[in-house]
Amino acid sequence: MELFRVTNFDFLKYKWYAIAASWLLIAVGAFAIFVQKGLKFGIDFAGGTQIALRFASTPDLDRLRDILRAANLGETGIQRYEDPSKNQVLIRVQQQRLEGRDMTGEILQRVRQGLGGVQDPAKIDINTEGAETLAARLGAADPEGVAGQPGTTPDAHYKAVAEKVIARRSQAGIFRSVADVDAVADVSTAVKGWLKANTFTGSFVLLSAENVGPQVGADLRKKALLAVIWSIAGMLAYIAIRFRSLPFGIGAVVALIHDTLITVGILAILGREFNLVVVAALLTLVGYSVNDTVVVYDRVRENQRSPKKEPLEAVINRSINQTLSRTVLTAGATLLVCIALYLLGGEVLNTFALTLIIGIFIGTYSSIYVAAAIVVIWLSWTGRRKLAAVPVAPARPAAPAAPAAPAGKKKKSGRR
Amino acid sequence: MSKKLRWRILLIAFVLVGIATGYVATGYANARRDREAQGLAGRPTFEEALRKGVKLGLDLRGGIHLVLQVNTADALKAERDDAAERLQSQARAAGVTIGPMDLPTPQSFAVTVTPQTDERRLDETVKRYLPDWTYGTGGGKWTFALADASRRQIADNAVAQAVETIRNRVDEFGVSEPLIARQGTDRILVQLPGIDDPKRVKDLIKNTAFLELKLVVEGPSPDRAALAAKHAGNPQVEIVESKVEIGQRESTWYAVQTAAAITGRDLRNARPTQGQFSNNHVSFFLNAGGASKFSDVTGKNIGKQLAIILDDRVQSAPTIESKIEAEGQITGSFTPEEANDLALVLRAGALPAGLTYLEERTVGPSLGLDSIRKGLTASLVGAVLVFIAVVLYYRLAGLNAVLALVLNAIMLLGAMALFNATLTLPGIAGFILTIGMAVDSNVLIFERIREELRSGRAPKTAIENGFSKAFATIIDTHLTVIISAVFLFQFGTGPVKGFAVTLILGLLISVFTAVFVSHTIFELAYGRRQHIDALSI
Repeated sequence: MELFRVTNFDFLKYKWYAIAASWLLIAVGAFAIFVQKGLKFGIDFAGGTQIALRFASTPDLDRLRDILRAANLGETGIQRYEDPSKNQVLIRVQQQRLEGRDMTGEILQRVRQGLGGVQDPAKIDINTEGAETLAARLGAADPEGVAGQPGTTPDAHYKAVAEKVIARRSQAGIFRSVADVDAVADVSTAVKGWLKANTFTGSFVLLSAENVGPQVGADLRKKALLAVIWSIAGMLAYIAIRFRSLPFGIGAVVALIHDTLITVGILAILGREFNLVVVAALLTLVGYSVNDTVVVYDRVRENQRSPKKEPLEAVINRSINQTLSRTVLTAGATLLVCIALYLLGGEVLNTFALTLIIGIFIGTYSSIYVAAAIVVIWLSWTGRRKLAAVPVAPARPAAPAAPAAPAGKKKKSGRR
Repeated sequence: MSKKLRWRILLIAFVLVGIATGYVATGYANARRDREAQGLAGRPTFEEALRKGVKLGLDLRGGIHLVLQVNTADALKAERDDAAERLQSQARAAGVTIGPMDLPTPQSFAVTVTPQTDERRLDETVKRYLPDWTYGTGGGKWTFALADASRRQIADNAVAQAVETIRNRVDEFGVSEPLIARQGTDRILVQLPGIDDPKRVKDLIKNTAFLELKLVVEGPSPDRAALAAKHAGNPQVEIVESKVEIGQRESTWYAVQTAAAITGRDLRNARPTQGQFSNNHVSFFLNAGGASKFSDVTGKNIGKQLAIILDDRVQSAPTIESKIEAEGQITGSFTPEEANDLALVLRAGALPAGLTYLEERTVGPSLGLDSIRKGLTASLVGAVLVFIAVVLYYRLAGLNAVLALVLNAIMLLGAMALFNATLTLPGIAGFILTIGMAVDSNVLIFERIREELRSGRAPKTAIENGFSKAFATIIDTHLTVIISAVFLFQFGTGPVKGFAVTLILGLLISVFTAVFVSHTIFELAYGRRQHIDALSI
């Protein structure tokens, strides 16, 4: 099977339209970010508290809202989370000025009290307590009477028991009533009896809780940005040295920035949150995009070594055509993985996959219409008269170098 | 089979066996450590070792991630109090009369100089007993401040000691593979995998657990103002609030002696005990020095009340009925966990300064489980789709690519185990990019071979040319991304670093599998035949 046999599209004929389209996309994205909705920073960067809960039955959002409003915690957002049948709720509280306050604990306590969960202070909630507390209680009560038996201690013994109970809870999602402990495998009836008598089932399970202070948020932002800037500088240097041409390096880097800007803009339009997962996706996208660009560049370099004299634009066009079926195939394969992640990967991977899906399209396009176009435009402006004689042709030492890349004049041989 | 090919196969086998052994060995070591931390007996099974080769990050496994700030100002203030007291007593001992002291800022103190003060001898006393302090004169006062170097030293020690104390507490709590590390000047990172009790852990870590036993001068009284007015001007007496018990609305207040009879430093051991009505107490045992001080104080003050103060709150104030030597009890309405944790914290030592939580992330065990399950399903479905597409498109050569990809994934897991890297969600992102680039490498090679075939080369030449021409491109693409990943690793924080580590390892392996392993498979398939009519590509 073959997608394209030999193609000869004149890609670069449309470069000016493409550049206009790129600017338009960037402008629309910038409008969405700066004017319209603004970029929704997640709590990773903005700071604040975010708690995900799973309820036993359909949660009453209005009631939760009332409870939290009464608690006076500042601006609070409550929404359903993931599949409605899972009864999950996401609670978000904006950054408090008071750093170091235990927001998570406070919110959980308020919700628990507001829903009237606590019946008997001597009983513990097997839906919110962790394995450690459960193990400590079981160890103190010792329903199986293992104290004094050789080979084990109540601590170790009940820790394993408690972990089984919690594992069952994780599997089932939540215990709906204490009778559910019957379903825990490998646990004695004595323990189950004790659990039924001494625990109760609260109305929710804690899925995750995050609390980020303003300092940390600002720090994370600064450090992530710094890391990205350095890594882009590293790529610029490598490409410029390896292809012996500054325009190649600049072209690749501008393509990366272009991809990132447009992708972030589209995410803003879609109302997606900007958090660490998106940063990971953007880093992946940058890697993908630069890979794509380098493949095209590499072919350009190779084609420039051929003795046939032809204008640079034709060389680049030919290179894009030669790598076209590879470009489409690789993008297609990567898209397959990302679509699978998007559809099946769950809430956390959803935004990640979406960012990559957008990024693959933009990244593939930018290799041709940003990275390659910049090289063409730059070199045709600086070296208008000797288009074919680009300094990236080490196989032809006689070729005079264009002024744009003086590095090409020096080391010319001995590279391969 | 040519000699060259035999060497290649040997090298591939060697790398595979090495990585597999490394993975299993790391898995066994991890599983053994986990069993020890959980107090389980017996040896880990092979299956357990396979599961534990690569450590999962908190986002996948569940657990608690905390970033704390040490309030070093607390330690500086304590040092200031200590220095002021030292100066007062040494001045008295040297016969220098000084006026009243005051505390203009939290980190300085001032001494009023009276006409009777022998300033030369006061200066000598300062030089001798407060070498770390500098003072300025003016307004009839000497104002003391800590020298910069000592200030840094004290702050630094406070953070180091806080790290040590937290480590002791976490160790006593029994967590497998905890990470407690200092970050920057005054921050501490704590990661506790598999722990799902955020409230309890936070209380345990933050609990300063500063225990003091002080003689009660007056109290309890519900009226703080009256108590304060009565003892105003007496620096030997301070007012302390009592702990508010459940069901009790108003707090009460005690006037106690400022100087503590006993502090947490005099403790030898502490353990939770049950009282008469099976309420929970904490018993503490004093070391030799503490015991002699304690018996002295209790012996002299029979009939008086002794306040047991924990973190500036009076827990209880029992009456001293007889001389007590080495043992005491903190009573209060503790739950069993609270009693247990308080005893633990008392044993592990007090924190030198207060802590503030800057960042806190808890991932419940079910969310972690859910993320893994879904991520795994999605990745497998994606991988199978890619395999089908590649085999449909490249036929037998596609099978070769699939084999190279599977090897790549397995070797990446093995390498992560060998380098003790942790797999996190951003790590999975790196994994996906690796696989994407590995597919790309194969596609690059196969497209080159097809091009060569189209231009009329013989199959064998086409394979050789295809590999050698694609090689330069593969090296360029991989090196560019590796270089960027190295910078991300160098300058990034946690999640960005995790992405970078996986990516660097993955791409190094990808070069090996795409270029070396694929090539070897081609040679194995076609190399022995004298003449090839067509390639399945």
